[in-house]
Amino acid sequence: MTDRHDSVILHFVVRVFMVPFIVMFGAYVFIHGELSPGGGFQAGAIVASAFVLARLTLGTEHASPRFPTRYLIWLASFGVGIYVIAGMVPMFYGANYLDYNSLPTAWFNDIAEHHRTARAMGIFIVEVGVFIGVFSVLVIMYDYLTLRFREGEDD
Amino acid sequence: MKWLTLAFLVSFAGLFVYVSADLPDRGDPHAPANEHLAAEFIELTAEEIEIPNIVSAILADFRGYDTLGETIVIFTAGLAVLLVLQTGYKRND
Repeated sequence: MTDRHDSVILHFVVRVFMVPFIVMFGAYVFIHGELSPGGGFQAGAIVASAFVLARLTLGTEHASPRFPTRYLIWLASFGVGIYVIAGMVPMFYGANYLDYNSLPTAWFNDIAEHHRTARAMGIFIVEVGVFIGVFSVLVIMYDYLTLRFREGEDD
Repeated sequence: MKWLTLAFLVSFAGLFVYVSADLPDRGDPHAPANEHLAAEFIELTAEEIEIPNIVSAILADFRGYDTLGETIVIFTAGLAVLLVLQTGYKRND
């Protein structure tokens, strides 16, 4: 629980410029993970830094309605679950665990009219899981490290 | 005792400097570390995965189990922080 800072200029700069830019940059790092240095871990840390910045300046009460802590716990489990389930799906097609060659991604190539191998798709799905997991775990850590007593705060 | 430790460390530093002369050059393609799996990863990434970033291919595909473990480690760290600090809500005294 971080207090809201008093400065209006700080609020304006953070809300209008910094947080959107950092989230966009995180999305860029994530989407370009297959083309250039980047990926789920890095993008998760960058996007989490944007949320921590919002919580630091706007205060946790004002910044957290979009991503409250109780949802983030579900989100972290969901991210790890994407990875685990993406590894288990090939087992239903007779392949080994995490063998992306057997992922059923042909329909996506037909829709997008753009050829991507099943293993490239598997890498992307797994990176989505890593991104969601790292992002939500980092924000959970910030929220709980700044937690205060609800009652008896003054003693 | 202090001098003995110093002499021990200096002798080890000398040993490491002496041995480092025999290490392969940085980026040497014929170094033992680059001869076995690295060439295979580079070839398979171009042939089977068809993405330009070999690091991502190794991280998420060839070493998929490793990355799964890393993700679970981070998740477990978050759960540990949550479980330790959440007890701050209630005080029994």
